[in-house]
Amino acid sequence: MPLLRGFLWLLGFLMLGDVAVTLFALPISAGVAGMLLFTAWLLLRRGVGEDIATASQSLIGLLAMLIMPGVVGVFFIADEFAGHWLAVAVALVIGTLLSVLTTLALMLRFMPRTPASDATGEPAAHD
Amino acid sequence: MIELRDHLFATPIPAIALTLAAYLISLKLFTRMGRPSWCPPVLVAALMIAALLGLMGVDYNDYRRGAGWLMLLLGPATVALAVPLYQQKHHIIALWRPILISLPPAALLAALYSVGLAWALGASPQVIASLAPKSVTAPIAIGIIEQIGGSIPLMMGGLLITGVMATTFVGLFARWMNITDQRILGFALGVNGHAIGTVRAFELGPTAGAFASLGMSLTGIFSALFLPLAWKVMWG
Repeated sequence: MPLLRGFLWLLGFLMLGDVAVTLFALPISAGVAGMLLFTAWLLLRRGVGEDIATASQSLIGLLAMLIMPGVVGVFFIADEFAGHWLAVAVALVIGTLLSVLTTLALMLRFMPRTPASDATGEPAAHD
Repeated sequence: MIELRDHLFATPIPAIALTLAAYLISLKLFTRMGRPSWCPPVLVAALMIAALLGLMGVDYNDYRRGAGWLMLLLGPATVALAVPLYQQKHHIIALWRPILISLPPAALLAALYSVGLAWALGASPQVIASLAPKSVTAPIAIGIIEQIGGSIPLMMGGLLITGVMATTFVGLFARWMNITDQRILGFALGVNGHAIGTVRAFELGPTAGAFASLGMSLTGIFSALFLPLAWKVMWG
């Protein structure tokens, strides 16, 4: 039952995140707090066990489906935000154009150059 | 007929079944269409569900109440994002300087450009809040919306458009500016285009994919810490 054991780990860290957010009145969601705590835990333990790998891969693979109920709502909000669509469209298209340019410029400026072989062919990742 | 429908939709089962069915069908369509990055399967699936709800005369809120059970899993799924982040730690250690210099301004400006443009065009505070996490991966973005207000459906729509746009623009600029470094392209795809950009990056190659998931995770964490604070400062 590696899936269930891993899932239980995730639930445990989600609750831990909730406890931290509530106790310290943090302005972040319980999930993000749980993720940060879980990252720290993995760094301390220096590895991802089979249970955790199985559960997290399954859940991450399902992410796109898990957000569907929210995405369906997109088709039911036309009236609610009537009059804002131009602002939304410009903000999304021009905003994304500018932010892509910014990221590329920053990375081109600060990323150390490597021979082409290093940048394209990489030793197999340990995952 | 109507009574039967109401009886069924009194439980979450039909909403969940509908969601699963639409998602599986759209995945199949997506593969058959040759995996076009301008048309993520989520969008097709959502369109199918919306059309079916309209045909059957089911209220969106009834559907959402049932399908909301699926969104319960977003909590543990967000925690699970720690695993790919941990697996990229050798990249973070090797390239901590360029990442530390580039990521905060890139993630910050990704939000700021859109917030600024929407504000200048007279959008309401709720619309502005919904657009702020537009480059953040969906499970983290939902957490941010809970903190700063805003509409989850509008945020989701913005997220999808941003993902598709970011993928398109990175492709265009890569050609015009002659960028071939997979690390840079992957990072730009992940920082700006969250999961949609990351899927595209994995098509470019494993290095681009690794840097995209790294960029996506770090943008998510940075935005989750920064946006609620900025909102508190600006709007109390």
